[in-house]
Amino acid sequence: MLRLWTLKQKPHHNLILKCLHSSSNVGASPAASTSFVSSNAPSPPTKWTPDSIRTGLIARKRGMTALWNDQGARLPVTVLQLENCQVTANIVTTRQDKSEYHAVQVAASDKPLKRTTRQMQGHFRKAKVNPKRIVKEFPITSDAHVPIGTTFSAIHFVPGQYVDVIAKSIGKGFQGGMKRWNFKGLRASHGVSVSHRSAGATGAHQDPGRIWPGKKMAARMGGQRITTQNLAVVRVDTSLNLIYLRGAVPGVDDAQVMIRDAKKLAAVGRHNQAKGLYEKVLPKGVDDLPFPAGTLEMAKTLPSIIEAPAYRVSPFVPRE
Amino acid sequence: MFNIFRWTSKSLTRTMATAAQTVSKPYPFSKTAIILPEPYVSPPLPLVQGKGLMPYLQKNLTTPEKQTMLRELFGRHSAKRIYPGSIVGVTLEHAPFAFTGVVLAIRRRGIDTSMVLRNVIQRTGVEMQLFVNSPHVKTIKVVQKPPKGRMKRAKLFYLRHSPEKMSALAGSKKGTIA
Repeated sequence: MLRLWTLKQKPHHNLILKCLHSSSNVGASPAASTSFVSSNAPSPPTKWTPDSIRTGLIARKRGMTALWNDQGARLPVTVLQLENCQVTANIVTTRQDKSEYHAVQVAASDKPLKRTTRQMQGHFRKAKVNPKRIVKEFPITSDAHVPIGTTFSAIHFVPGQYVDVIAKSIGKGFQGGMKRWNFKGLRASHGVSVSHRSAGATGAHQDPGRIWPGKKMAARMGGQRITTQNLAVVRVDTSLNLIYLRGAVPGVDDAQVMIRDAKKLAAVGRHNQAKGLYEKVLPKGVDDLPFPAGTLEMAKTLPSIIEAPAYRVSPFVPRE
Repeated sequence: MFNIFRWTSKSLTRTMATAAQTVSKPYPFSKTAIILPEPYVSPPLPLVQGKGLMPYLQKNLTTPEKQTMLRELFGRHSAKRIYPGSIVGVTLEHAPFAFTGVVLAIRRRGIDTSMVLRNVIQRTGVEMQLFVNSPHVKTIKVVQKPPKGRMKRAKLFYLRHSPEKMSALAGSKKGTIA
């Protein structure tokens, strides 16, 4: 049986990718080894399958608060808000080994026209959207392309599903070994002079006679791309375009974050589908996912505020 | 800012009134998801842009009864506010169904506001941190105000190590009161 997870999804390092991004409509003649998606042609409504990978969204982290679920348990939640998140391109490229890379380019947070460069103005004009501050790409399967110009809504995520969040972590500045690498430091007393928090020795002796590359040392900490995996979607509010996630998300308030469906749990779901355990493909309580994406039009036909119940026995009921 | 809160109280009262009449739209992606009542009007543009969103959520992510409780008992300038050092009785939906104790600390965080109550029950010191917004907290009642109106500290953790001061606070009211 064809094992779908061995499909050539990753490019080989020594091959050159032919990156011809096809954001334009029909009219461009197809080049030698690239194909493009006529993004604005009406396609038949597609359904989510366990082997599909949907696009993600870009949102802004607004802050954290607490919610109490139907069983009365307190959940710390992070509030993320979508700020006019739209599709600016559909990308299809063919690698030298003939495998295809599909992606959706998503942009969010409107920006004044005068502060956008000419190059980006042209790019947004082609997609017929307002100029945006952040433009990111989400790899997908070939069936999950979204028409250019589509505005996403918080309805894209279903309460009860799990997501990964990618954001730049809070910058800590130049930090020493104890904070950066959890070094133990030295004793507080008993003769230690002036080096209580220092890293101590950095190598061996004449052999090797140098410091190994990659030695953990003091340097700038934080301000890097971090992925927090498997955060549960607790509530979705389409009137304010809010997504409430259980747990913490990297970065400061009002920072841009990328949200996508949890990769590892989706892989577990694919394996369960292959094994025939159809009940365990999606998380408990989730029956389907909006496919190819949850849009503003879809949100108008669905309820505004949806919350996930606690899919477990109440912790307040005493057990024998 | 003032406009946002005016809109809030109006929309909520209308929501409570119209919730029974409107039929909720079906949600095909989850059969067991909880569908909350629709807001009556679409929110003002500043909130959709994120301006003043967190203070708005801090006030409105709860029921009106809890909002009143938070405002009257834990507001900094309310006439009926609870002071640390007062004796407060709460009724809960889980065991112990009623608990009375001295307020040691009040932590004000909007809807995450909580207080710590301490009592000595059968020679065992018992503390409870109660989140005001929790659905398990039914009522909060001030049994006795602190001596001379208020204590000289905001946090009375020193009472954990001085039972004589605890009993002085309690005065004539010893033991648990339902």
